[in-house]
Amino acid sequence: MPSLFVIQGRDQGKRFELQGSCVRVGREKGNTVQLHDTEVSRFHAELREQGGRYELVDLGSSNGTYVNSQLIDHHLLNSGDRVQVGRTLMIFTAGDELTSHERVDSISIVGQEQHPGGSRIVSTLGQQPGERIFGIHSERSESDSPWLARARSNLDVMYHTALAASHTLDIDQLLQRIMELIFEWVEADRGCVMLLDRDLDQLVPKVRRDRKSTAGESIEISRTILDYVLQHNEGVLTSDASDDERWDSAASIVRMGIREAICVPMQGRYGVVGVIYIDTYTAPGRFIQRPANRFSAEHLKLMVAIGHQAALAIEDTSYYSAMVQAERLAAIGQTIATLSHHIKNILQGIRGGSYLIEEGLKSGEFDVVSKGWAIVDKNQDKISNLVMDMLTFSKEREPEMVPADLNEVVTDVIELAQTRAADAGVKLVWTPDAQMPLLTFDPDALHRAVLNIVTNAVDACEKAESGLVEPRQVEPRQVTVRTEYAAAQQLVRIIVEDNGEGIAPEDLARIFSVFESRKGSRGTGLGLPVSQKIMHEHEGDIVVDSTPGQGSRFCMSMPAILAQPADPDAAPGAAQTRYGL
Amino acid sequence: MPELSLEQRKRVLIVDQSADSRSVLRTVLERRGVQILESPCAAQGLELVRQHHPEVVVLDLESDAAEDRSVRAAYECELATHRAELVILGNLRRCEVPADEHLVRKPYHYAPLIRKIEQLIERTVQPGGNGAGQCLRCL
Repeated sequence: MPSLFVIQGRDQGKRFELQGSCVRVGREKGNTVQLHDTEVSRFHAELREQGGRYELVDLGSSNGTYVNSQLIDHHLLNSGDRVQVGRTLMIFTAGDELTSHERVDSISIVGQEQHPGGSRIVSTLGQQPGERIFGIHSERSESDSPWLARARSNLDVMYHTALAASHTLDIDQLLQRIMELIFEWVEADRGCVMLLDRDLDQLVPKVRRDRKSTAGESIEISRTILDYVLQHNEGVLTSDASDDERWDSAASIVRMGIREAICVPMQGRYGVVGVIYIDTYTAPGRFIQRPANRFSAEHLKLMVAIGHQAALAIEDTSYYSAMVQAERLAAIGQTIATLSHHIKNILQGIRGGSYLIEEGLKSGEFDVVSKGWAIVDKNQDKISNLVMDMLTFSKEREPEMVPADLNEVVTDVIELAQTRAADAGVKLVWTPDAQMPLLTFDPDALHRAVLNIVTNAVDACEKAESGLVEPRQVEPRQVTVRTEYAAAQQLVRIIVEDNGEGIAPEDLARIFSVFESRKGSRGTGLGLPVSQKIMHEHEGDIVVDSTPGQGSRFCMSMPAILAQPADPDAAPGAAQTRYGL
Repeated sequence: MPELSLEQRKRVLIVDQSADSRSVLRTVLERRGVQILESPCAAQGLELVRQHHPEVVVLDLESDAAEDRSVRAAYECELATHRAELVILGNLRRCEVPADEHLVRKPYHYAPLIRKIEQLIERTVQPGGNGAGQCLRCL
């Protein structure tokens, strides 16, 4: 779907999907693309669909509409166009590009037999030899002309700049590496990179590098040079600041001891993101004789290219960070909304139970008090389960492996689920494997994992029974739970089967995704992901088979780690199953 | 209070996915002589409306399909025909609910909700209560 993605401005990270024949952009609430930008007009521009494409039309806005830095009245947009309104910069992305998809279909991979007499490999070049071609220390021919040697050296610098730019998403690390490269290649005494802070509208130093001899001195950068670079969007080289007519002879450059300087803009796709500055330095009053120049026009050209590369990398990183941030915020929002909803429902239940208790106490009817208490109690369990599931899901944890009896753990789950099953009119059948040995596992965690699966099975039966799904035949709803010890495979299994509503094939793939619940407002969407996480922590898994209208089978399996024989000197009861609720 | 026959007792239908909520309302209202019908889902609830003509329907919008505007419209139509009242439990904005319906935002307190249901039962038995006989939306 076509979209506008905000990469600069207060709405940075937002993506607006474009639907319909006319999409309005502006500051007012009624706009589809509503921007929180005081420099955007109330109704600033419109995107009008024309034969599957969008035309951007300015609606007489105060500050104008720009596409790729050009002021426009109307403009047919292409994918990748930069749309600027006020201080907000957006990238337009068209929908599916059919032509490129169609052309992709015409690519096929054929075998040698279908292509007799075809191509043969005559030469190969791996990644590392590739680097050596450009490497500073690569073998060079004696016959290399100075021009060729220079070209190779420049190519080497650009190659390594491109590598640095493409191998990191950490801007500070990238800038550090770029300064290192510059210092390897040019005899600068000092250098720094400054990035433009768009909120403060000023340059902020990010990285500084010095040769040893100047390391202690503070670096003072001439405002004159910086202003010139930013205003003209040009790199500058000054070989002798006092002779350069661009600088006021009284300017600070000479007083600061700067002999030569290169300052280049970091020009990205969407504007200047900062500057790179290097200079040679002699402390004021220490001139003995004028030394030879170290910077040349060629250095300037290459610095401009490096600045451009670095700027592109910074923009890409910012774009990526904005997207990650947007996704993170969306995920946090969804988590808060989902959990608030469940907590609200639980509180509603507690409120109902409390109300019954109050009514029963007023009228002296014990059965009403008892009914109210049962509701409060049930909701206490719900909140406790929700909190435990949230804790289990939210942190990486090592299972606490202790000798325990799996049958005993499952028995306890059955006891807990029995009341719930009886309320729902579901029969719970439990068949423990009599041969189950004492195993080593985390009984608390396994208890939670099995409880979630059994509770789901009961709910699935109840839903089928209540008529929320199409009834298929009149038969008692039933959940069977059994354990199996497969000695030959060194595995244990806990199998939970129900004859409830079943799961549609298209839902099966999503049942272990967090907050994907098929139980409506009753489900937290945490139970199955938590059970799966616990099984994975035990190096096990859960396999599900289900047929809609017939029921489901959840098979939880994990390696059977036999418990070591109990130490006769150990305290009594040490090998007993322990788990808290 | 003299015992009322089943025919004399006023009927309230509770459509709510939460068994707890249904249980609380049933317990309290039955003690006050109201006959309770209940359903966890909206479509099934609509069938109960057609069969039993309750005086008041309490519809939780989180119940299966209750958020579907056409389902609500079907309720409105049925209830208008039978001069019954609709109480909606949910988080709609006031402007999204017709003036003749009653919105109770969640989470709610039970005492005011029960008072509201009792008032509406009273209204339906008074002459000139909630309109008469014909659903204007169906005309």
